[in-house]
Amino acid sequence: MSSKKHLQLAYGLAIVLLVVGVGSYAYTALTATVLDEPVRIQFKSVAGKVLYSHKMHTAETGYGFACYDCHHHPEDDETSLRACGDCHQGPLEEGVVLESCLECHDSDEVEDTEITKMGDAFHSKCIQCHQEAEAGPEECSQCHVL
Amino acid sequence: MNPRKKFIVSHAPFWHNGSNIPERSYHTLLAALPAVVVGLHYWGMAAVAVVSLSISSAILWELAINKVTKKTVTIGDGNAALIGLLFAMLLPATTPWWAVLTGTFVAVVLGKQIFGGIGGNSFSPVVLSVAMLSISWPHLFDFDGMLVNYDLDFVMVYPLAAVKHFGAGTAADFSFGDLLTGRQVGGIGATFGLGLIAGGIYLIVRGFIRWEISISFLAGIFVAALIFNLIDPTRWAGPMFHLLTGYTLVGAFFLATDDSSSPVNFVPMLIYGAAGGVLTVLIRSIGAFEDGVIYAVLVINLVQPLLDKIRPKALGKVV
Repeated sequence: MSSKKHLQLAYGLAIVLLVVGVGSYAYTALTATVLDEPVRIQFKSVAGKVLYSHKMHTAETGYGFACYDCHHHPEDDETSLRACGDCHQGPLEEGVVLESCLECHDSDEVEDTEITKMGDAFHSKCIQCHQEAEAGPEECSQCHVL
Repeated sequence: MNPRKKFIVSHAPFWHNGSNIPERSYHTLLAALPAVVVGLHYWGMAAVAVVSLSISSAILWELAINKVTKKTVTIGDGNAALIGLLFAMLLPATTPWWAVLTGTFVAVVLGKQIFGGIGGNSFSPVVLSVAMLSISWPHLFDFDGMLVNYDLDFVMVYPLAAVKHFGAGTAADFSFGDLLTGRQVGGIGATFGLGLIAGGIYLIVRGFIRWEISISFLAGIFVAALIFNLIDPTRWAGPMFHLLTGYTLVGAFFLATDDSSSPVNFVPMLIYGAAGGVLTVLIRSIGAFEDGVIYAVLVINLVQPLLDKIRPKALGKVV
């Protein structure tokens, strides 16, 4: 192959793959859907990240937990349950109302703004459940990755 | 009198044997292709986007720097395309477009062209770029975090992270069959062990890379991992696990063998490769990072001019 043909090949590769690349990025962005349920969630904290398998805890082939075993708001509508981090963001300054609250409630409807911070909520929920079931990690280093 | 003929020079006309840089680049691209195709199969359209944009942007960055510096256009030699492909192979499938563009810029411009182009670079451009990006944006190379939404039918945890943080016992979750067939979390083109080995053997047989570097790199990993494993099998995983996970195979056959940043003589090549392998395991086992290939290759790239001084000294090296 002559050097001219090599150059043409490189130009061809650059143009074709640029079109394919931009098109594929656009396609994945446009077709991206918010999953009904997350597969895995990576929680980040100063004590190290935690990779939590939501699917393993909820699937029938896994531990088969019901939504309300962990989620608790709103209490009467399973289809619109909130993610943990939507509410457990504390400690909040007094009088501050979370945006996630205002999506459904007026600000004067929100009385209790003292919400447990996420780390405490998780520690309490995860460890308590693992202890009760006598299964799953209970020590820090069994979940947290520094 | 010594009757041995060492070097015969005849007069012109000479006949070129057809070997040239484009041939080398495109054969290396071809050798990497099986691993990439399997990666695309598992990681889907997002991986297609990363690989395509990476190759095209690497070529375009090289074209741009050729034009800016008013030098001959060198994209025809295929080296820029190869850099783009190798860089994409190390990335998670969900890498954002801006990181791909930044990475290929760093690899092509800062990693290669700034040293005067192909043959002048002290470091493997791809390795340099991954090192710089992984320091600047560590979350981009956190495979567990980047691939949280993938739900494939194999263990969806980055093997090296599992072993490093939760002990060698977790290595049992990953079967060698899965690791060899690309059924593991990792870079787009870094997980299909069989493909990488086949590509490496092809390159060795065709003479595009030197077996001394690849084999000594793998041997270094095997021996160092075996020693760690024998010291404490509950803490450090066995050598086969280290050989088939992370960037090991892509590092041994495609990164450490980069032309201008690796030595040329037999003994220096063995030292170079073995040092890379041992360093990789040291970083994985007692270092701060989950995978050590990138920094190990950077370090051996750094010492290769010294290795080339081992007698007989390498002729014609500019670095």
